[in-house]
Amino acid sequence: MDEIKHKKLLIVDDEDELRQMVEKILRKEGFTRIFQAATCAEAIHICQTVKPDLTILDVMLPDGDGFSLLSTIRQTSDMPVLFLTARGEDEDRVLGLGLGADDYIVKPFLPREFVLRLMAILRRVYLPPQPKKYPVFQLGERTVDLESGTVRHGGNEWPLTAKELALLAKLYDQRNRIVTSDALCQAAWGDDYYGLENTLMVHIRRIREKIEDNPSHPHYLLTVRGLGYKLMVKEEE
Amino acid sequence: MEGAIRIVKRFIGATMLITAFLLAFNFVLLSVWIFKGMDKGSSPASVVQTVAENLHRTSAEHSSGDYMLNASATDLLEQNRAWAMLINQEGQVVWAYSLPDELPRTYGLTDVAKFTQSYLLDYPVFVWEHQEGLVVVGYPKDSLAKYHHILPARWVSSLPERIVGLLLINLGLALLLSLLIGFRLIRSIRPLTQGIQALGEDREVYVEPKGFLADLAQSVNRASTLLQQKNESLKKRDEARSNWIAGISHDIRTPLSMVLGYASDLEENANLPSESRKQAGIIRKQAENLRSLISDLNLVSMLEYEMQPLHKKPLRLSALARELATEFLNNGLDERYSIEVEIGDESIQVFGDERLLKRALTNLIQNSIEHNPEGCTITLKTALDQARQTGRFIVEDDGKGIPQHLIPELLDLPYSSQRKRSSLHGRGLGLPMVARIAKAHQGQLILSSASGKGLRAELVLPIIKQQTNNKPQIGV
Repeated sequence: MDEIKHKKLLIVDDEDELRQMVEKILRKEGFTRIFQAATCAEAIHICQTVKPDLTILDVMLPDGDGFSLLSTIRQTSDMPVLFLTARGEDEDRVLGLGLGADDYIVKPFLPREFVLRLMAILRRVYLPPQPKKYPVFQLGERTVDLESGTVRHGGNEWPLTAKELALLAKLYDQRNRIVTSDALCQAAWGDDYYGLENTLMVHIRRIREKIEDNPSHPHYLLTVRGLGYKLMVKEEE
Repeated sequence: MEGAIRIVKRFIGATMLITAFLLAFNFVLLSVWIFKGMDKGSSPASVVQTVAENLHRTSAEHSSGDYMLNASATDLLEQNRAWAMLINQEGQVVWAYSLPDELPRTYGLTDVAKFTQSYLLDYPVFVWEHQEGLVVVGYPKDSLAKYHHILPARWVSSLPERIVGLLLINLGLALLLSLLIGFRLIRSIRPLTQGIQALGEDREVYVEPKGFLADLAQSVNRASTLLQQKNESLKKRDEARSNWIAGISHDIRTPLSMVLGYASDLEENANLPSESRKQAGIIRKQAENLRSLISDLNLVSMLEYEMQPLHKKPLRLSALARELATEFLNNGLDERYSIEVEIGDESIQVFGDERLLKRALTNLIQNSIEHNPEGCTITLKTALDQARQTGRFIVEDDGKGIPQHLIPELLDLPYSSQRKRSSLHGRGLGLPMVARIAKAHQGQLILSSASGKGLRAELVLPIIKQQTNNKPQIGV
């Protein structure tokens, strides 16, 4: 994790005070190797000499625009780029992301959000990918193991079907929150789910038979009338 | 085209009416004028009759040759510059009045028969029976024409039918001619009517100026050019306004970033007294409000000037309703409020921009929450309209409601001159934005309320026609 904090970051923005603020935010987060550039020319120079690991880019610069700067950078480097700009229109966003930017943040921004998104990019690019692990969680005395697709209780084991697994994964992902029947259908059957609400009810009942003590009076997988379902999971730790 | 046919119909009707009127008028005039003129007091027949009746013998003795014409009859002859004579049974002229010398004084049977039919030495003459013989009145040469009409009896008896036939032929001819003229007229005005219709629909028009309506065609073309120019300059002005707002909001964003950044930095700074951190928190919160105000302003301005790109896709209203209700419930809706969902027709689909429609509906729900601080029940409904062309997404609350007369104001932009009152605390851009999002989707926002009975907001949107019941069959 600390490895990430040693990455070299480049801030390109023509506004001096904003650069200072961003640097301050990043230093507070623990980053130490931070470079600044006020123009495209400076930015290209730093890119060639320092070879930063990530660039934070403004669109409006005195000697050019961030989009063409990104194109120039992309000719020699694949480093992640994050746009931080006052240009908030959809087209700009699409243009920036289309040119290969990793994220697009519109000013004004909350420092916390900015840092979280920056960290997410760094982690994705520089940390070795972790195998996606399905969670294992406890519902009362039963253990739901989405990794192996089983529900265990007192030495017994019930296997989950593929659809049940998809539904449970979606419900666990949004645990303690309502998940609409539309979202559940989409998770199990994809976009073309219209008219499958009754099928969904059948699957929910089968899941309840495996995870509830009394499927007719569910404790964990609750129906929210007219909207969808909610999986109640007590958070441990 | 409809209009042109109506014009021709009216034109033909008017022509027929005029023709019928003219015919009738002529008939009446003919009979009144001509026949009356013939029957006038001084017509030759009446002159000769008057002379015959007023010519008397002066003595009672038979065969005495003295006759006397009274003064009025003499005047009559004088007026007509006519002469007169009385021929007795033997063919001798026994009395005469200014008889021209060239005329013979005795007449045989043949002579009488001849001049009765026509002329006596080119004098048009007329005869009348007298107890002593025959009174003859002669007019000056070339003053009158004599005609004799010999008509077959059958021809006379069929005269009424003939007159009716004549009338009908006249009317038919008039109809034919007016149709001909009418259709020629239509041919020449059709491009014009089409041009004017197109003007009404704000399309670009060019009508070839030719024929007798060339002036009119040129006027239509001028009007079209003028309209196009107006539209263009309006569009340019709209663009300028929208760009201006976009520019301002862009310039506000960078300084606001710093306000937001340093305020949240201060808020999180553990070295500061809690009072200062609280104040920094307020600055941060207000800066965030300002941020959402700017992006709202930008969005509304883009929608107002039709510059907002729409990313449309088929959306099911029922799914949208559940998603919105769920979002509010999951994000900790205060327990004073409750949200219900009533789905009228599960299958209604609209073709819309998901982000914008969700934004609109969120605004409506937020509006109900903000204006009923004592709490209320918010109901989300979907319904298909009778004509099956439009669907409705209804957001209804049972809160305080708004007086009916204030409702139109809610849809105006808060900074427009139409809006008289300052925005009723916080009823800022929310509802105007919803109305504009609806408009961008060819729909509309209808607000209705009775004070104390809550507010009902209906988003009417055109729906996607469904193919009947193609439920996907997917293995369980």
